[in-house]
Amino acid sequence: MNGLHKLGAGLLAAASIGGCGPSGAPDAYDVSKMDLKPVPAKVSAERHKGAFAEGASLSMGAALKPLDPSPVKTVRLDTTHKIIEIAPGVKFSAWTFGDTVPGPTVRARVGDRIKFSMTNRSDEPVPGVRVTAAPMMHSMDFHAAMVSPQDKYRSIAPGQTIEFEFTLNYPGIFMYHCGTPMILEHIASGMYGAVVVEPRNGYPTRADREYVVIQSEFYAKLDPRKQKVGGAPLYVLDTERLRAAQPTHTVFNGVHNGMVKDPLPAKTGERVRIHVLNVGPSKTSSFHVVGTIFDRVWFEGNPDNQMRGMQTVLLGSSNSATVEFMIPEDGSYIMVDHHFANASQGAIGLVSTSAKPPAQDLEHHNIPASATPTDPDAVAGKLAFESKCLACHSVGGGRKLGPDVAGVTKRRSKDWLARWLKEPEKMLQTDADAKAMLKEYNNLPMPNQSLGDAEIRQYLKYFEWIDAQPAGSLKPAAAGH
Amino acid sequence: MKAFIAALLLGAASSALACGYCVEDKIASAYDHALVAKSLGMRHHVAFYHLDGPLKASDATKRALLSAAESVPGVDKGSVRVSLDTLTIAFAFDPKRTSLVAAQSALDKKLATRKVSLFPMRVIERPGELKEIAQR
Repeated sequence: MNGLHKLGAGLLAAASIGGCGPSGAPDAYDVSKMDLKPVPAKVSAERHKGAFAEGASLSMGAALKPLDPSPVKTVRLDTTHKIIEIAPGVKFSAWTFGDTVPGPTVRARVGDRIKFSMTNRSDEPVPGVRVTAAPMMHSMDFHAAMVSPQDKYRSIAPGQTIEFEFTLNYPGIFMYHCGTPMILEHIASGMYGAVVVEPRNGYPTRADREYVVIQSEFYAKLDPRKQKVGGAPLYVLDTERLRAAQPTHTVFNGVHNGMVKDPLPAKTGERVRIHVLNVGPSKTSSFHVVGTIFDRVWFEGNPDNQMRGMQTVLLGSSNSATVEFMIPEDGSYIMVDHHFANASQGAIGLVSTSAKPPAQDLEHHNIPASATPTDPDAVAGKLAFESKCLACHSVGGGRKLGPDVAGVTKRRSKDWLARWLKEPEKMLQTDADAKAMLKEYNNLPMPNQSLGDAEIRQYLKYFEWIDAQPAGSLKPAAAGH
Repeated sequence: MKAFIAALLLGAASSALACGYCVEDKIASAYDHALVAKSLGMRHHVAFYHLDGPLKASDATKRALLSAAESVPGVDKGSVRVSLDTLTIAFAFDPKRTSLVAAQSALDKKLATRKVSLFPMRVIERPGELKEIAQR
């Protein structure tokens, strides 16, 4: 190799490492141009007493506010302990950022500076008898930041405030979460949220609607101390289920079937952009929207990681994606984790062209009734019924493939129902009523759902609750194939 | 976890747990807010230490540590908190009856028979404060 060649090769290597890609175009990820100047975090005993979440860049709920143009974004997310309702009748003892689960979404752009502060207000007095978890230490871990965790992500005690700042160097949808041990428990109790970082020059497409959907799991059990919240039983973290990765609820934006009741609006012909983050803590998500195809998927929310024409996007814990799709015609497009075990636990939502979602044709999915039970067994029975049975049975909506369950405890004895739920195939051979029912319903036998005694008791509690409601008070619940 | 702590100690032998992140996480594992609030209300202090030595994770070990710390003059009865997962011990003490140095020294002597020693981490003397404990 002569000297000129050596010089050329050297320049090419320098360009590749330093500031340009092989094509000579500026490298958007040139580390020499990233802001990595450290500013030490500050911890103080100054307790913030105002709003739990503050900042023009914050969005509450699914709808994402437009980008705040300020290059410096002041963000406050205080930690609190509060009771949230993760499913009808399930009041859960949660730990939060900004007093919401998930925490508020931060929206910013590459190059923006985030000035963050957080007061640990988990010890804040609450009216009445305290049923929230005992105050404890918390911390903040921003995946969007490139900082020393020993300095910025340290745990602070109740009453303390931590302040630190960082610059956003990469575009993407990044998780934030509490990093205090046991981290698993802090995340499963609700301490997470998203930071949406746009590319420095914005996204390459224009979306008509922009939403954030955060998938997470809850691991709830009845409070062993049997505390109540407004007459309803309190649920607390089930650490055994948590360690076994067996959630009781898998949800979008913190609520079982929440965006079924309150769909995300869109109009026919519009391009919808959804930033999806799976915070886990332990399950993957196979995010899919029934009725459309993802025109673009930007894995981890970075347009440089683009895929086209995708049906689902697979997200591990703390993985994210930005998906864009068109609304082809009027309808309700169902967001779902296509791991249907997760969907059946509540990971379902709608993007709808009508203000109200239709009460049918939701592909096996759940429509909550207007009233809900509070007895824990009945609540569990309702959730199980809505997950497994709505395809063939309605609640007050008339017969489908099988009978309407409204009134079933008046038509059949409790013992008969228990035996039927346990061993339907055996009943069809031995019981005259079961044989008659099979004939009435076109010889379509009810499949054995392999229910245990505890589950059967929960179903019966739910059926009894249904039949105890005043006539006409239940909205017919149904789901079709 | 123990391997992690061991590695941490190897790296921080001279600076006694210089990794602040780990220190605060360890404190979090033994932090009891009710105890802190009660102790500060009595103008007592709450100290946190890393436990260094061959400690078996068992109820017997925990009981022995609790007993050793509670027998130190000036340490409040019922105030000792131990996390064997993170090898952390915390206790409240009355600064009018003993000093932080004296309490630590007394407990160190009691634990020496088990080949366990204390690495000082933080002390809470006022609400909202986690003050670094100076090395002896």
